[in-house]
Amino acid sequence: MASAEGGAYSYSLTVFSPSGKLVQIEHALAAVSQGTTSLGIKATNGIVIATEKKSSSILIDDSMIEKVAVICPNIGIVYSGMGPDFRILVAKARKSAQAYWKIYNEYPPTKVLTQEIATIMQQATHSGGVRPYGVSLLVAGWDINRGPSLYQVDPSGSYWAWKASAIGKNMVNAKTFLEKRYNDDISLEDAIHTALLTLKEGFEGQMTEKTIEIGVITVPSEADLEAGKIEGTGRAKAAFRKLTEEEVRDYLAM
Amino acid sequence: MPDTAHEQPQQRQFYPYTENGGTILAIAGADFTVIAGDTRQSEGYSIQTRYAPKVFRLTERAVLAVNGFAADGNMFVKKVKQRLEWYRHAHAKEMPLRAIARLIQTMLYAQRFFPYYVNNILGGIEEDGSGAVYSFDPVGSYEREACRAAGAASSLVQPFLDNQIYFKNQTPAPGTPHPTYLPLPDVLAIVIDSFTSATERHIEVGDGLEMYVVLAKGRSIEELADVAGVQELTTRADGDRMFVIQRELKKD
Amino acid sequence: MSIMEYNGGSVIAMVGKDCVAIASDLRLGNQALGIASDFEKIFPMTDRVYLGLPGLATDVTTLREQFRYRLNMYTIKEEREIEPETFAHLVSSTLYERRFGPYFIEPVMAGLQRLPNGGYKPFIAATDLIGCINFAKDFVVAGTASSKLFGVAEGLWEPDLEPEDLFETIAQTLLNAVDRDAYSGWGAVVHVITKDKAIKRVLKGRMD
Repeated sequence: MASAEGGAYSYSLTVFSPSGKLVQIEHALAAVSQGTTSLGIKATNGIVIATEKKSSSILIDDSMIEKVAVICPNIGIVYSGMGPDFRILVAKARKSAQAYWKIYNEYPPTKVLTQEIATIMQQATHSGGVRPYGVSLLVAGWDINRGPSLYQVDPSGSYWAWKASAIGKNMVNAKTFLEKRYNDDISLEDAIHTALLTLKEGFEGQMTEKTIEIGVITVPSEADLEAGKIEGTGRAKAAFRKLTEEEVRDYLAM
Repeated sequence: MPDTAHEQPQQRQFYPYTENGGTILAIAGADFTVIAGDTRQSEGYSIQTRYAPKVFRLTERAVLAVNGFAADGNMFVKKVKQRLEWYRHAHAKEMPLRAIARLIQTMLYAQRFFPYYVNNILGGIEEDGSGAVYSFDPVGSYEREACRAAGAASSLVQPFLDNQIYFKNQTPAPGTPHPTYLPLPDVLAIVIDSFTSATERHIEVGDGLEMYVVLAKGRSIEELADVAGVQELTTRADGDRMFVIQRELKKD
Repeated sequence: MSIMEYNGGSVIAMVGKDCVAIASDLRLGNQALGIASDFEKIFPMTDRVYLGLPGLATDVTTLREQFRYRLNMYTIKEEREIEPETFAHLVSSTLYERRFGPYFIEPVMAGLQRLPNGGYKPFIAATDLIGCINFAKDFVVAGTASSKLFGVAEGLWEPDLEPEDLFETIAQTLLNAVDRDAYSGWGAVVHVITKDKAIKRVLKGRMD
């Protein structure tokens, strides 16, 4: 069995195969591509990240499933792949954001947090006794210096910035679809609709507020930034939030 | 059960001194002197009263400001006043300022081994009509100066006076030397600024400000005409004149 | 003996109109004995952020190196220079790490904060030796002459001083305060920071 999938090199992820591959990472990517589709689109005034949320049985209470997670007020992430692995990464990312806040009294820029997550994921590819994380992530965030940014992180720990991307089962089709639909001056509202349309391609079953999840970054206005200071909390209004089921339903109806 | 508490060595002591806060300040002009003090009296973090004068009229031309341990200060002023009255009875005239200064030294040094816990600043007009300030340490060491701050906020006020009265660290433009004495309105402004600054940054300073102004005989009182809260204390015509100006300071 | 008095020294920072100033004396002492009259306690952290470190001289060196390290790491990671307010919190958290065995330093910071609209806002702050931050809007002081600095600054400072007037105000405040402090003095240095330049002036003062 071992030889069928890469021979002796397929178990120890810290050992390269003669062809220069870490086969376990390839397997992790395979796990991701079996996961439900997620996508992200960067707009002029914000970012949307969305995913489909399918449960294996109608008996599962799907209101409890959370695939889009808030990391800190300015950053949210979504995944495709293994749910339990994602949960661990969310916990680590949140801790990292709070540790940064404790030092600088502000939340990390998107890039710094993304690097932090990518480092954690990379470490799982060359540490002994562990396996790589079976997820790819889309990280959407806003910070004062770089504005809105969207990153993808893979099990290998590599990351890229995207204008729009998709991960998971339908990623190839979804990306092709996004390439056709995307332009540089798309508004957040349009991006949300494009996201829904993209998800709809290749969606199995009924797409409802119960079967998808959406998170958005809204670029704060100068007044929003100022308001946080005045209230004395030192916190600007959260740039990232998840859309409620009602909001998702309204977008689907439009 | 035997009570063993009293077997422990016990020590009791009486410490007869305390500090009552506040700050005093005096500045001499060419023919006038301003002697000022705040009116707060405190012990530790408690304010005992918001009006306890620290500046006292001694004669027609002498004012004594006393700061430190209030009980000692009040008793000391009382004794100085008594000695000045004896002097009047013996010599049928007021004691001159420089003589009062020497008297204060003698009285302070008499308590060399149980001192009055006070810093004194004596201000007034000398016999030659010049403004004068004498400052004392608690055991009578003294010096005539143009200005002096003492008390709780002296470390805040004195360097400010060095700069504003003595023009320390300031270089005059060529041909325009710094004045030796400042005009009265300037001095009053500096005194008020000093106390508002000290009130802002020192908890033991505040509530009220009393500024005594002694003007040499024959000097114009015009500069005091528009000053708010001024009251004349002069009792004898055609001599030196004395005024007190009362102001509010922050009470927090 | 207070540990601040072991080496002596004082720092002050003031806000002006679109500018800030930070100044210190140059004395390094060993209690009453003067050792050096060229001991600078103010260090540029970036072009727009300056840090003053009055207190125990050995900790001045240690903390300067500590902040150099942490700022280099920050600048590389974030691909940008730190803002003064963020830096103030970095100073605070760095000192609080040593809450129960502190560095004997009372840092003073001055800088220009970049605003979302592209402008700059004057920023000053000071902390105690365990990092409790004081964000003053007028001036901050620290060191052995702090009470004297408070007194003079409270009397001389006024809002919206232009750079040259701010320089004069902070210089006079520092010189007159340290002249009444045996542990501070022996020369002084003033930095005035505006959006397009930072000026450093070394002052002659009383050398006693």
